[in-house]
Amino acid sequence: MERKRIVILGVLFVVLVILVVVFFRSGLKEKIIPAAPPLPPEVEQELAQPGQTKTVVLFFLSEEDTLLHAEEREIPADTSLVRQAKRTIQELIKGSQRGYISPFPPETQLRELYMTGEGVACVDFSKDIVENHLSGSSAEIATIFSVVNSLAYNFNSIEKVFILIEGRERETLGGHINLSRPFLPLYDLIAQ
Amino acid sequence: MNKPRKKRATLVTAAVLFFLLSFASVSQIQPFLKVSVRDYEEFSRVTIEPSFPLSFEIEKGSSFLLVKIAIDIPFRIQRESFDSRIIKSFGWTRGGDYTILTIKTKLRDFSYDYFILDNPTQLILDFSEAEDETQEVDRMRQREIRSQLDATLSRDRDESASQDIQTIVIDPGHGGMEPGAQGKFGTLEKDIALALALKLKAVIEKNLPVRVVLTRQSDVRVSLENRAAIANYNKADLFISIHINSSFRKDAHGSETFFLSREASDDEARMLAYLENNPTEIEQGIGADSQDEITMILWDMAQSAYLKESSQLAETIQEELNHLLRTRNRGIKQAPFKVLTGVACPAVLVEVAFISNPDEERKLNTEWFQNNVVEAIYRGVENYIDRFGRL
Repeated sequence: MERKRIVILGVLFVVLVILVVVFFRSGLKEKIIPAAPPLPPEVEQELAQPGQTKTVVLFFLSEEDTLLHAEEREIPADTSLVRQAKRTIQELIKGSQRGYISPFPPETQLRELYMTGEGVACVDFSKDIVENHLSGSSAEIATIFSVVNSLAYNFNSIEKVFILIEGRERETLGGHINLSRPFLPLYDLIAQ
Repeated sequence: MNKPRKKRATLVTAAVLFFLLSFASVSQIQPFLKVSVRDYEEFSRVTIEPSFPLSFEIEKGSSFLLVKIAIDIPFRIQRESFDSRIIKSFGWTRGGDYTILTIKTKLRDFSYDYFILDNPTQLILDFSEAEDETQEVDRMRQREIRSQLDATLSRDRDESASQDIQTIVIDPGHGGMEPGAQGKFGTLEKDIALALALKLKAVIEKNLPVRVVLTRQSDVRVSLENRAAIANYNKADLFISIHINSSFRKDAHGSETFFLSREASDDEARMLAYLENNPTEIEQGIGADSQDEITMILWDMAQSAYLKESSQLAETIQEELNHLLRTRNRGIKQAPFKVLTGVACPAVLVEVAFISNPDEERKLNTEWFQNNVVEAIYRGVENYIDRFGRL
């Protein structure tokens, strides 16, 4: 009796081992590739200091010279890069403290901002940025490059900026500047 | 004593087995393919997003498109319900190591374009109506491919030769349902742009032995890509787009001339990568399959081969605008204008004045101001031809 039980348990154990092996070796060998590589540890540490702030430079429009003018802001530094970038754009929409123009229709909202691989930040605005836009070349250039320059200037890991409207790609804001490819910053547009 | 223990042991084993098996079935995530459809103003976009590496072939039927996807394992299809002007339905045929997706359209004939996005991998297919005009433009584009490729590849060798200027294409901005910028007194950018373009055509044709083609002659909407296609089809030697500027407040004023800013190096890298991967094509000509890809890359880099000439044309036009109108010198600038991207010749975009400035809006409606602007642009073109070209 005792021996029979050991045999049964032994058989069950072997079956279990086989199942475990089958379970772990089978499948479709799919790998889950993370969308963005995790931040290197030193950056994480740098971000992790609570209460710290960081100075960012925002670029607003001046109609005197239709160039972009720099203005500094303090933003919380104890958050992720994406949050800092979001905050930067929100501050840009909120407007200048020195009388420059924030080149957005006032209703514009930042819906989402995320990083894709290869240093591209996707910035997704509400449809107001199109519907209430003035659709002139200078206005479009100011809107787009205040965003692109403000992000690329302050965040080394952002090399290009892709602008989406309501989560979708669009050809242009008002018939001029090509939105269908990511933008590199254009620092020529910044006043000396 | 023995019996309950045996029972318990069996029960525990069964429970462990059950747990493991159910876990196994859940964790065997099946690959999937997401398909969605969205309508845009001019086309319907089908996005195919697989959870597996995508390898595919496309074949066009009269009213349908076949996408043959290489995959030898079962996968799920996730499809959002949709309501589209162009896309009717999807059909799936599974073969041994492939699956064919049939995209049926509501049209008797259609044209399509495709490209691939990374992160996550997506195959984007744009469907549009094959109107006679768009077909014509497609054919124009196709015909241009070879000569454009030749021109692009031979440019380095032939840098010093001055240009023959035979055809000038003038592009009045906006039109039709798309009025462009609007002034405080109701002046529309599209109207002024057309008026200036018609005048400029008359002045150039009167004074220079060249052909002038307009991208639109009346108040109609022409897509930005078709404007470039019209220029390339007509073998334009110069392309001048005419726009009226607008900014956020009323203070901005003056004229500006733009030429394209692009990450030209990106495009050249793409082209080189393509040619390196398909080396036989240079010798044997371009097969029908790869024409689309070549077209797309060339379309993107068409203008980048002419940036130097475009900056010179911008410079000569801006000089005259400053001189004649005594408007403040705003200088020449670079920006990624969509309309200039696909133009395969020196190309500029002139922003004549600000419609958002009430004073300039008023001027834009006067004959003398319009004539002065036209005169200035004409002189700019003439100077460019004197300095850099040949008639």
